Amino acid sequence: MTLLRQLLHNKKAVIGLTILVLIVLIAIFAPLLTEYSPVRRVGRPHQPPSWEHWLGTTRLGHDVFSRLVHGARVSLAVGIGAGLLITVIGTVLGIIAGYKGGVIDEVINFFTNMVLVIPNLPLLLVLAAFIGQASPLVIAVILGFTSWAWGVRVTRSETLSIRQRDYVKSAEMLGEPSWRIMTSEIFPNLISIVGINFIGSIIFAVIAEATLEFLGLGDPNTVSWGIMLYNAQNASALSVGAWWDLLSPCLALALLGLGLALVNFAIDEIANPRLRTGGMLARWVGLVSAGEGKL
Amino acid sequence: MAFLLRRLAFYLAAFLAAATINFFLPRLMPGDPIEIMFASAGSELSLENLNALKLTFGFIDAPLHEQYFSYLKSVFTGDLGRSIKYFPLPVTDLLGRALIWTLGLVGIATLISFTLGTFLGVMAAWRRGTLFDSVASLLAIFSSSVPAVVVSLIVLFVFGYTLRWFPNGYAADPMLDPAFSWTYISSVIYHGALPMLTLVTVLTGGFAVTMRNNMINLLGEDYIVMGRAKGLSDSNVMLWYAARNALLPTVSSLAIAIGTILSGSLIIEVVFNYPGLGNTLYQAILARDYPVIQGQLLIMTGAMLVSNFVVDLSYVLLDPRLKKA
Repeated sequence: MTLLRQLLHNKKAVIGLTILVLIVLIAIFAPLLTEYSPVRRVGRPHQPPSWEHWLGTTRLGHDVFSRLVHGARVSLAVGIGAGLLITVIGTVLGIIAGYKGGVIDEVINFFTNMVLVIPNLPLLLVLAAFIGQASPLVIAVILGFTSWAWGVRVTRSETLSIRQRDYVKSAEMLGEPSWRIMTSEIFPNLISIVGINFIGSIIFAVIAEATLEFLGLGDPNTVSWGIMLYNAQNASALSVGAWWDLLSPCLALALLGLGLALVNFAIDEIANPRLRTGGMLARWVGLVSAGEGKL
Repeated sequence: MAFLLRRLAFYLAAFLAAATINFFLPRLMPGDPIEIMFASAGSELSLENLNALKLTFGFIDAPLHEQYFSYLKSVFTGDLGRSIKYFPLPVTDLLGRALIWTLGLVGIATLISFTLGTFLGVMAAWRRGTLFDSVASLLAIFSSSVPAVVVSLIVLFVFGYTLRWFPNGYAADPMLDPAFSWTYISSVIYHGALPMLTLVTVLTGGFAVTMRNNMINLLGEDYIVMGRAKGLSDSNVMLWYAARNALLPTVSSLAIAIGTILSGSLIIEVVFNYPGLGNTLYQAILARDYPVIQGQLLIMTGAMLVSNFVVDLSYVLLDPRLKKA
């Protein structure tokens, strides 16, 4: 809870959380926000924004606003689902490798480094291409199983330093089983790393899903921001002047990415106070530099 | 030397892993993989050609392990099979042609954004807490969190369609013949401007944040205080005491970032219709041209490994401790 209170004192976190809460609320109440179905033809093709259609219509006559608010559900679900999977795999493997050491560490570390040097997007493209039209669920699962390496690396190196601390040593002396040391001595001290990993993974998953769908590897019947981009691009929305069709999902993705990144940076600043900017720090730096040379 | 040899062995293993994924994926598909692959490509090939294709995928009448070695043999001799869409053009030819444009784009953009990002990070860390730091950090967060596809579409909309300052596609004027002349080169620069701008925008923030964080963590060190105590000028301490040491972890983060950079470039090329790897790949995805999609994984992995090795080499130069080890 201290983390939450500290977050609320951080300007970046407040802006980021506001954006996120807004998007989550929109996703939850999507059907109440619009009278139009996201998959039905409700108007003439490529109508510019108007009172009837706030963000205009697509080439197929779908309401862009309705698709946008319904699409938020898919983007968030894939982001959070895949992010959770990535974080769980990364944290578990990272703690085990860092704490157990020896052969287990070497094996995990070897595979982690290997996954890190095989470029992620090209690999995803190959996997998605063989799967065919990948549904959001499938995309979330393959993202989860291919993108955990960074988390392992960071968690492992942090675990390596924590296992040397006195409280871990004393737990070992007391004869605590190693699973207990890993879950209740080491894990609680990794919370900020795990949080950063989780949010970073959500950002990555949201971007990756949109990218795969934009490239035509998604299921075109899904209502998601990536598929909106794909349809708009296929309808040559920009060259026929239907900017609303393409820019709406663009701005939504940008906003979601920004909100998540702001929260992530705030957690980073709380975990490592030296990274802070503005506010208190500015006053402190000002005092120090005012005092410089006076000694 | 031992360090570099160990890295080389590791890269070989990683490349083998990518090739192994490529080998097993088609075999995990239900039914006859070759038939599915070619049916979905919608092309009609003669039996003769089909057999030639099977051969490059290692589909021979032999036990699995022999198929595997036959596949590895063709991969390591530089044979990635033939494109289905442009049969019988070899995949290596198709991708090799495109690779030049991608490498040019990625190389220059990385150089610009790494220099720019590192510089911004150093300045922001040195003046942490000031307005400059707040603005730079906010821009960096924005640049590193917005998807490449979004940035490129917005850049295309603003500069390509609305202001019409730059062309919306191709790497050079299609009417010109490639030549080492100013008209051709200036056309290449003119066409490359928007993809380059986008890639630099997407990459700079990440480098700036990494450098800022590394540098701030160093500023409390004793040798910084020592430098100041010696009465060295501010810029001297900043560049030669702090930035120089903060650069080391930044360079190693560059090695990991190369995958992201390549991926970003793939997307940007698709949006700007730039004839690099990304666009070739996009056409291959649309046509379900599996040999090309698989070939790009190996080529991208290769590019990633080579650039990682270059980073390893620069690490040896930057960190004298590694030379002795």
